[in-house]
Amino acid sequence: MKLPFAILASILLFIVLAALPSAQPQIPAARDVVSPAAYASLEPAARGTSFQLAVVMKIRNGFHVNAHQASADYLIPTTVTPELPIGFKAGEIIYPRGELHTFTFTKIPLNVYQDKVVLRIPLTAQSDAPTGTLHIPLKLRYQACNNEVCLPPVKVDVDATVTVAANSAAVRPAHPELFPAH
Amino acid sequence: MKKTALIAIAAIVVIVLAAHYADKATRLSVSGGSFKKADNTQPGKPAPDFTLKDLDGKNVNLSQYKGKVVLVNFWATWCDPCRVEIPWLIEMQQKYSAKGFTVLGVAMDEEGKSVVAPFVQKEQFEIDGGGKSLMNYPIVIGNEQVVDKFGGLFGYPTSVLISRDGKQIKRITGLISYDEIAQAIESQL
Repeated sequence: MKLPFAILASILLFIVLAALPSAQPQIPAARDVVSPAAYASLEPAARGTSFQLAVVMKIRNGFHVNAHQASADYLIPTTVTPELPIGFKAGEIIYPRGELHTFTFTKIPLNVYQDKVVLRIPLTAQSDAPTGTLHIPLKLRYQACNNEVCLPPVKVDVDATVTVAANSAAVRPAHPELFPAH
Repeated sequence: MKKTALIAIAAIVVIVLAAHYADKATRLSVSGGSFKKADNTQPGKPAPDFTLKDLDGKNVNLSQYKGKVVLVNFWATWCDPCRVEIPWLIEMQQKYSAKGFTVLGVAMDEEGKSVVAPFVQKEQFEIDGGGKSLMNYPIVIGNEQVVDKFGGLFGYPTSVLISRDGKQIKRITGLISYDEIAQAIESQL
């Protein structure tokens, strides 16, 4: 006896679908909530010049992270920490203020970052800074939630590439859209 | 005709399998970084046993609650939705503990007891009907191994309702619905 092809195909498809567990909400891993990237305000910078690094955090739609100035002591703030090579000095990191938003799980608005935010790290390349292209490792720490669940805090490595020239004649501004007042 | 249908079916199978494996890959670990392959919690599946330390440093096994209905609640002190549901859990503990129910809070803070103990000892929660209360249910310090035993978590809070005979009845990721979970508890008592 020969079953029609369409029936056989339907049975096969039904078996495959039935064997799979029911669909669950898609929640990314904490480190996939933010896509970070770092840019220098001068390319190249030079020994003896001050410049900035911008850490751009692109935050996944539907998620937020606590702002650096978090709304409560118990909340984990966003921080960025540079691991500076010899010959560099960092100033006080400039964090954006954040925005107050109310979520389904809280009546009090929380100060959070959403969508895209830029953190800025003022740097000075000192007279003994190495010349050429170098990498400054940054540690970005954040804790993300959506409207229903929170993800554990994570520390993400971000690589900032900086080029240092021997004298300031070579210095060129870069990424003006990220450094409007620089 | 036959060939087209076969290609269409193959494409559907590939899409369904890809969705399945993407789902498994998005389970989080305690560290939040590495992915965990995990089984879904199926209603009726036996709850995994575990041994964790309570805030006095004593071992607590899930199996020691056999005979009780247990709501295992994965939470953290930094988690706002977890804090929102704590008063509800306090109320459930008050309401149902005499009937053979307990909440078991599994605290997932990286710093462990050093942050969880002061929180549990000092933090007062306003409960429905007036008054404030400390957390009135047992708290243990969780770890990645226990999360793995439960098949990984999507986020915090996560609550797993376990029947008197140690079977997983219901799993809720995110803020619980008080009425829904109360109804589920009552159905087991």
